[in-house]
Amino acid sequence: MAKKDAKPMNDKFDNNGLISDLSNVLKQGPEWLLEKRRVSRDSFNNSPLPPRGLHLWRYTDPQKFINVSSTATDSATVGKQPSQINSDLSESDIPKGVIISSLSDAVENHRDIVEPHLYQLINSDTGKFEAQNGALWDNGLFIFVPSGVTINKPLHFQHVSSNAGSNNYPRLLIVVGDNAELSVIDEHLGAENNSDAPYYSNGAVEIFGYENSSVRYANLQEHSAKVHTFFTHRARLGRGANMLTATMSLGGLLSKQNYGVILDGDGAESNMYGLAFGSGHQHLDCHTLQHHRSSQTNSNIDFKVVLRDRAESAYTGLIRIEKEARNCEAYQINRNLLLNKGARAETIPELEILNEDVRCSHGATTGQIDPMERFYLEARGIDPSEAVRIIVAGFAESTLRHIPAEFRQGLQDAVAQKLKAM
Amino acid sequence: MNPKPLLDIEDIHVEVEGKEIVRGITLKIFPGETHAIMGRNGSGKSSLSNALMGHPSYQITHGKASLNGQNLLDLSADKRSRAGLFLAFQYPMAIPGVTVANFLRAAIKARRGPEADMSDFRKLFKKEMDALAIDHSFATRYLNDGFSGGEKKRVEILQMAMLQPTMALLDETDSGLDIDALKTVSEGINRFRSDDTGVLMVTHYQRLLNYVKPQHVHVMINGRLVKSGGPELALKLEERGYDWVEEELSRSTGA
Ligand SMILES: Nc1ncnc2c1ncn2[C@@H]1O[C@H](COP(=O)(O)OP(=O)(O)O)[C@@H](O)[C@H]1O
Ligand SMILES: [Mg+2]
Repeated sequence: MAKKDAKPMNDKFDNNGLISDLSNVLKQGPEWLLEKRRVSRDSFNNSPLPPRGLHLWRYTDPQKFINVSSTATDSATVGKQPSQINSDLSESDIPKGVIISSLSDAVENHRDIVEPHLYQLINSDTGKFEAQNGALWDNGLFIFVPSGVTINKPLHFQHVSSNAGSNNYPRLLIVVGDNAELSVIDEHLGAENNSDAPYYSNGAVEIFGYENSSVRYANLQEHSAKVHTFFTHRARLGRGANMLTATMSLGGLLSKQNYGVILDGDGAESNMYGLAFGSGHQHLDCHTLQHHRSSQTNSNIDFKVVLRDRAESAYTGLIRIEKEARNCEAYQINRNLLLNKGARAETIPELEILNEDVRCSHGATTGQIDPMERFYLEARGIDPSEAVRIIVAGFAESTLRHIPAEFRQGLQDAVAQKLKAM
Repeated sequence: MNPKPLLDIEDIHVEVEGKEIVRGITLKIFPGETHAIMGRNGSGKSSLSNALMGHPSYQITHGKASLNGQNLLDLSADKRSRAGLFLAFQYPMAIPGVTVANFLRAAIKARRGPEADMSDFRKLFKKEMDALAIDHSFATRYLNDGFSGGEKKRVEILQMAMLQPTMALLDETDSGLDIDALKTVSEGINRFRSDDTGVLMVTHYQRLLNYVKPQHVHVMINGRLVKSGGPELALKLEERGYDWVEEELSRSTGA
């Protein structure tokens, strides 16, 4: 820093948006972790911005994340509300051997499980902003379900960004053993009392589903209106494992999400259902990855987008099937519903299929509400705006039905809220 | 007989995509009456029914239509429905993701108001499903999504039974029904008939008319009602087709 008055607003970043001070997180945790943080920091600082020509960044300017992250103040220095485990699970609902803990405690207390998994799926090789989370995560959670164990009720995590102008780096690590079962709801919320405050959130979720495990993961992105949010999810499935992913993106001004499932054992299966609803000037960018590395693996994605006002969406979906992954099935469908002129949806499928022994399809549609559907509802006495609400709710239903029942009503209400004043 | 018609249509003309399809129809239906309009495919029967309901593709370019003295043509489709008009569609739309139960609940709420008590809904719904031999699993199926032709028609009549309109337009409600379904659906229509309600059946077969007996039968050719009579007219049409009506017509117009 050359001059005193050039001191940046955020002590973690210098004026160029580089990570200059890791003191908060560097002081905490074991040496193996600090080394990972330093590698991540160096990678973030030294790597160029992602090239815009690639599909992944074609529709979203990465500079916007640099700008907001270096001007927002550091959540850790302002005082933050940590991620919470909000569930009605009583002690008796949590079987023996299950670990539910903050990630910073887990790196100390459960190194044997955490170290071989943390940073395995998301690290500085994944991308620049993944490296940023790798260096700075400060608000993490860890779940471990031992082999053969089933948790019957969904676990609910809530990340509330409570401070105006703060940064958040949540990180979630989930390890599910052989034949084990788990359902998780991962909810990211803005604070209600200062919903207009800008902040930056960069989250990472790594999930391991071992042999014949069954994992349900629901991500509810309900950030407040001015948030820039970057989020990466990677799940790796072992032989015969089954994963169901449901994602809802409703909030934020700029949201870039990246969901990926790696089918890494014969017979693994992944189903993903997504819904993004943009209004106002929201920009919602979502990438999905279906990565088949083993034979007889199946993956399916149904990603829906609703847009109104001048909102924009970009959906890019990559299906990659490796040469040695035989007899796989992979499907991807993206449907976009535009509620008015001026809203815009982009969609790009990408296929990298390295052997011929596959069944694979992708498709995309973009359109408005069918006036004939609307008329059918109106002919039954339902007024026009309620008819639109019902049709949009029906469009969203294919995703909502995969979200645990106790959350569905709240999300339906959130969707209805976004339709107000049409 | 009540001197005031329930449905009063006067010289209605309907255009579809700029082409005149219905070319001047006048018809009065009094409370308690059941009428049938019969005509070949393409004669304009659905255009008339859709236009009366307020379908956006069918423009009424001329004429008057009122229900219980209230001008229908000033009202949007939802208001026409709430005023008591019902159309059982020839081709009901599928609404993916919206269950039959949720849809009907919304339609009834639209009538009763947002704060209304809906505690009787479930019971009424079950009763009407049973009456129409509709399996209860249909309550949670998406509206018309993947329904067979016959299932769609039953669900149209289910909606009529639940919404309790005063005037029902039934567009080819018999098509796609096997004989058992035809009976069940006809019984549903007959239950709806009363001294206060009116029914207009639109069909090109007369088989429904064996079960739901109309007092008045009209023949539609080329967008016009060219002949009216009693139930015997339907039988004659069944037996002899429409050619003789056309011949009569051309003789009388001297064409
Ligand atoms: N939505 C529409 N778009 C274009 N043409 C239509 C439409 N509906 C009806 N028509 C035309 O209007 C004429 C009458 O059709 P319709 O009213 O459906 O007859 P019917 O019900 O007696 O079989 C036909 O020539 C048909 O092609
Ligand atoms: Mg017709």
